[in-house]
Amino acid sequence: MTTTTSTDESELIAQLIHGDDQAFRHVIALYHSLMLNIARAIAGDIFADDIVQEAWVSVYKNIANFERRSSLKTWLLTIVSNQAKARLRKESRQVSLEQLDGEATGSYLDGANFKADGHWQQSIPQWNIESPDALLEEQQLQHCINRTLNLLPPAQKAAFILRDIEQQSFEDICSILAVSAANVRVLVHRARLTLMQVIDRYQETGSC
Amino acid sequence: MLSCKQVATIASDYLDKSTPLKWQIRLHLLMCANCRRFVRHMKITRELSKQMVLNKTADDVDTIWNKVQQRIKQDSQSD
Ligand SMILES: [Zn+2]
Repeated sequence: MTTTTSTDESELIAQLIHGDDQAFRHVIALYHSLMLNIARAIAGDIFADDIVQEAWVSVYKNIANFERRSSLKTWLLTIVSNQAKARLRKESRQVSLEQLDGEATGSYLDGANFKADGHWQQSIPQWNIESPDALLEEQQLQHCINRTLNLLPPAQKAAFILRDIEQQSFEDICSILAVSAANVRVLVHRARLTLMQVIDRYQETGSC
Repeated sequence: MLSCKQVATIASDYLDKSTPLKWQIRLHLLMCANCRRFVRHMKITRELSKQMVLNKTADDVDTIWNKVQQRIKQDSQSD
């Protein structure tokens, strides 16, 4: 875990410890949806809202004990992860992340996309826009990507957000989601492949 | 020699620099335009994601904050 406590964050933490409601609402606005994604990935949709609320209560009560050895974000993610794992044990539901996420048909890795010798059946579609900055400016593409992210299986979505958007280390993601490194890699890879297909379609048709 | 399917399967590991097959992949990429494009597109996708802003949930902060407040009160009463 990294120790990157910026001055802004130090100030924010001081305000939280002081019991500043505005600061607390600010932190909720920043991290609530990320925490929901983690809770959904670990314990499923039904319990996620409840788990994150519990996590916030725990944050509220324990912020004074926060030792700042990690960033506030990492601390919050650890709390929601622990709450979700505890809930999963309590409900004794046998849900493994791997069970939730299968290989989608029609994905890039679908056997139908390859010849018997393992070569591509068809050529990979061209992209007219290849600059990430230019792609970021395409509003419709942003909409398509967000929509697709929301349709991903929860574990894939959480692993992808943590790795590619939040830039967390594989090591940290393993402990947050309680899956092996190999499985985190598979989850992230599948999500990337799905997003590539969204971009393929967008480049060809201009829509989702 | 790796097949395109194998390259596509471990392309993420290649980009994340966590595969022992780096040189085999490079050799394949030298000879295969399709896989070059595939890996390039994946790299672009990764770059794009890094800068992406997620849609925040529709849940508004006030509602969440009120629920959390209620729970804190309940907890302190039952203590
Ligand atoms: Zn190839």
